[in-house]
Amino acid sequence: MTDWDPSKPILEIENLSISFFTRTREIPAVMDFSCSVMPGEAMGLVGESGCGKSTVALAVMRDLGRTGRITGGHIRFKGRDLTTLTEEELRHIRGSEIAMIYQEPMASLNPAMRIGDQLAEVPMLHQGMARAEALKRAREIVADVRLPDPDRILRAYPHQLSGGQQQRIVIAMALMAKPALLILDEPTTALDVTVEAGIVDLVKELGEKYGTSMLFISHNLGLILDVCDRLCVMYSGEAVETGTVHEVFDQMRHPYTQALFRSIPLPGADKNASPLIAIPGNFPLPHERPPGCNFGPRCDYFRDGFCNATEVPMEAVPGHDRHATRCLRWPEIDWNAPPKIGRVTEKRPPGRLVLKMEDLKKYYEVSSGAFGGGAEKVVKANESLSFEAHENETLAIVGESGCGKSTFAKVLMGLETATSGSIMLFDENVQDTPIQARNTDTVSKLQMVFQNPFDTLNPSMTVGRQIIRALEIFQKGNSDAEREEMMLHLLDMVKLPRAFAERMPRQLSGGQKQRVGIARAFAGGAKVVVADEPVSALDVSVQAAVTDLLMDIQRENHTTLLFISHDLSIVRYLSDRVMVMYLGHVVELGTTDQVFAPPYHPYTEALLSAVPIADTRVKKRRIVLEGDIPSAMNPPPGCPFQTRCRWKRLVPDAKCETQMPPVKVLAGGHQIKCHLTDAQLAQMEPVLTRVTDSAGGTGGASGGSI
Amino acid sequence: MDSLSWPLIFAKMAVQFWPVWAALIVTVALSLHFRRRLGLYGKLFDSTVGILGFVIVMFWVFTAIFADLIITFDPLAQISQMKNVSPGTPVPGSDAWYLLGGDHLARDVFSRVVMGARRVLTIAPAATVIAFMVGITLGLPAGYFGGKLDTGLSFIANLVLAFPVILLFYLLVTPEIRQTGVPVVLAAILFLFPVIFVSVLLNSRYFTTPAKRNLYVGVALALGLWAYSGLAFNADPTGLWSMDPNLLNVFVSVVFVNAPTVFRIVRGIVMDLKSRDYVAAGQTRGEGPWYIMLWEILPNARGPLIVDFCLRIGYTTILLGTLGFFGLGVSPESPDWGSTIDDGRRLLSIYPHPAVVPALALMSLVLGLNLLADGLREESMRD
Ligand SMILES: Nc1ncnc2c1ncn2[C@@H]1O[C@H](COP(=O)(O)OP(=O)(O)O)[C@@H](O)[C@H]1O
Ligand code: SF4
Ligand code: SF4
Ligand SMILES: [Mg+2]
Repeated sequence: MTDWDPSKPILEIENLSISFFTRTREIPAVMDFSCSVMPGEAMGLVGESGCGKSTVALAVMRDLGRTGRITGGHIRFKGRDLTTLTEEELRHIRGSEIAMIYQEPMASLNPAMRIGDQLAEVPMLHQGMARAEALKRAREIVADVRLPDPDRILRAYPHQLSGGQQQRIVIAMALMAKPALLILDEPTTALDVTVEAGIVDLVKELGEKYGTSMLFISHNLGLILDVCDRLCVMYSGEAVETGTVHEVFDQMRHPYTQALFRSIPLPGADKNASPLIAIPGNFPLPHERPPGCNFGPRCDYFRDGFCNATEVPMEAVPGHDRHATRCLRWPEIDWNAPPKIGRVTEKRPPGRLVLKMEDLKKYYEVSSGAFGGGAEKVVKANESLSFEAHENETLAIVGESGCGKSTFAKVLMGLETATSGSIMLFDENVQDTPIQARNTDTVSKLQMVFQNPFDTLNPSMTVGRQIIRALEIFQKGNSDAEREEMMLHLLDMVKLPRAFAERMPRQLSGGQKQRVGIARAFAGGAKVVVADEPVSALDVSVQAAVTDLLMDIQRENHTTLLFISHDLSIVRYLSDRVMVMYLGHVVELGTTDQVFAPPYHPYTEALLSAVPIADTRVKKRRIVLEGDIPSAMNPPPGCPFQTRCRWKRLVPDAKCETQMPPVKVLAGGHQIKCHLTDAQLAQMEPVLTRVTDSAGGTGGASGGSI
Repeated sequence: MDSLSWPLIFAKMAVQFWPVWAALIVTVALSLHFRRRLGLYGKLFDSTVGILGFVIVMFWVFTAIFADLIITFDPLAQISQMKNVSPGTPVPGSDAWYLLGGDHLARDVFSRVVMGARRVLTIAPAATVIAFMVGITLGLPAGYFGGKLDTGLSFIANLVLAFPVILLFYLLVTPEIRQTGVPVVLAAILFLFPVIFVSVLLNSRYFTTPAKRNLYVGVALALGLWAYSGLAFNADPTGLWSMDPNLLNVFVSVVFVNAPTVFRIVRGIVMDLKSRDYVAAGQTRGEGPWYIMLWEILPNARGPLIVDFCLRIGYTTILLGTLGFFGLGVSPESPDWGSTIDDGRRLLSIYPHPAVVPALALMSLVLGLNLLADGLREESMRD
């Protein structure tokens, strides 16, 4: 280690190939992968799920399990080849020189051990530090990861902390040994946006403070832009493009990178005028890769006999900073040509009123005692919800987990009955009618699309059978043959091959399963569809296709879509109106333009600033939200948002802490639940601004809100 | 004729078992060939333990099926000079041997063990199937609805489980208790569950097309109630379905002690599965609770249930053996392994073979079932 020269890369991966050996075949997960990380540099690794990101990370940790093997190439860490080290030498490097942080924080924490002891164990084990000293260091680090009240945290067990706090502890644990390289594998995927933003800030800051190099894995391009200096785009086991973040984002030289950027909703995208462009086709399985370029079958620039004739090597882009691409045609492609707009659609005007909720309340009684004896507590999951939804309209419902979105959906669907208030569906009051008592017509008109593609279909029933069952229950078709025919039409509608009727759900990809879920929901000619985060578990390139499909069907059937989501980018892209929820309350309601431009509700403002945006020209005002969302069991008095609000001090007489704010109706029917005066609201500045490139190439902030 | 040496005894037995070997070879060859298309069953053939267990179990299953071809003597016939003879003794006046010797009533041990397989392999699986239907029919609603229903049913299940099994058996078969009619009432209750199970299963799926529903449920009810009248009350007019009262007692007791464990397993799985989105999807399209329980949840609980089923057949086999050993239940003539071991026990120190042979048979079957369960568990966890 002494002969390592700090001006050389700290991590150098050269032509790495990794395979997994299962009983039936060899699965080449990563092929010919190269990248290098300089000291103090943050390297991003992006790509769709299954492209081999985690496999690379695990290979660096030499933790590929029983079936995984490195079949070629080298991994040099500080000049030493990790692929040839012994188990003993590796143990020393892991944890003390290289540390890894996983997506699921609890996977790295011992549930039966106090946080303090777990943290202290690291230096005691690796550096033989004394216990007292190790505990002192643990306290410093806990303060470093900005957890409140470090002494209490050190004494706590992992399950007593929230998800965000747990992830901070995992980061603290990784930092205890002062590693030279930190690998983060989707560290924020399981967290809410506001919590995610906090963790990302923390990671960046600690990277600077300790000079740690980072390998940051994510499927979110916006996060990569926030955190990393350089990135490497992966596709189907290969690196397809690598370079500095700014060069790859603004001057990409690989068709896959370009397609990826065109499929994500950046500010300015519009579902009618400039719709997202989904990447056609599916990701190839590792053992079914095409000859030549892996991206060939999905590439717009594919040329037969050329792209599929030879293996494609990584080629440097001259004049750029270590920018390379794995495309044969990159010099001939016109990278500045605007995308072909597939088809521009008309925005349909909202039609008649189909759904009206008035002052809806849903309380749950929970007993706090372990044996049911304790005092009854009331969880106010939904508090005075009022809104209307029209035909043809997409109403987005936005908020962090636990804010009552799913409860709202359950009450609307009739799976739970409301505590009070009214729900009018097509002039029929369904508020007190549980789903069993609703007539078939009402049930089939109001359907739902679920979040988790791996859970939405019954794993032991064929796709066709599941759709036919919905038809049977909705009393569609007069005979089995007729229903069979209708089922095939539904498969056509969601653009799945008819042969899929015979398939089992496990033979389908996530996006395909989600399409079946949509077909099932529309089997009875649904008029109102509640989509609970229908695309959040899908890869970006698939998200665009599924979103598009939903929009198409909506246009066709004049459906009212209630789109539940925490992803503000997609909400901004597809919704007509937005409802923002916090702790069971609607804090803001208005058209998409109203909600995404000032004046904002203070919570909406913070939410907007937390969303990572994959556009180098957008400048974001960073608003840090302190603390976690309070428990619905124990909401704060007064305004629900008062514990985290940065505008609170402008309101006189501590009104925020004592009085529930009234709903303020601003121009155009825009509703905000806040004590701030109109004048104060008018002072709000936009969170996002576009940086316009002046001729000299220096960016200047102008252009106002976008 | 001379007595046979041990190698010859084994050779002769191996020849007697030829239909079993043939059937085993065909089954394994076909399964190996098509294993990629056979789901979990096919995957079983990727595990050595699984194959071993499967082969042992199928050996006994085929033995039960082809018992008539395999036996060398009538298992109940007594040949006077052959009392307690050692294995390989020739039978006078014929050109055959008592391959595994004779028992204290001068019957052929080999043929009795082979016929015993048929006994054991009908009662144990049948009792296990009924126990599963009872456990599933009660476990599903307990797990799905929870609340008071769950509390009540779980309490009863724990009560039954807390009761010493052997004592329970003794109680159920003592004449005084039998006169009170408790076993028949129990049988009447327990045998009702399969009928309910199948009818609800069919009704929940086909109620949308009444014609089909009426046909299926009607047939199921007719067949079910017919069998029910015969088995529970011995009142089948055609006499096709009937059960010896002794056997009925044992059967009912075995079901009674197994059902609560199945109940608990099912209840646990349902609690886990009911939060899945496909269950919510069923609810939001207005499916009834029984459709969701039986068609959406139960099929996805099959993995652990199949594994438990194998283990439970083994357990039931031992239980039946134990009961036979205590002289409970099945008729004294019966060649079932438990009673045979009991019969041989008295002279165990002088003539071990009449007891050792069925004991080994019992052991190998239970071992096979356990290996099979292990193999299934291992394979179902992969992928
Ligand atoms: N069945 C229930 N019993 C008690 N509390 C519940 C129940 N369902 C939801 N809640 C509570 O209601 C609040 C809102 O939850 P939910 O609607 O699931 O939020 P979201 O969908 O936004 O994540 C949470 O605090 C949650 O713990
Ligand atoms: S090599 Fe050909 S197919 Fe592959 S990305 Fe380049 S243009 Fe597309
Ligand atoms: S009412 Fe007060 S605490 Fe609540 S959002 Fe407005 S300013 Fe913030
Ligand atoms: Mg939710």
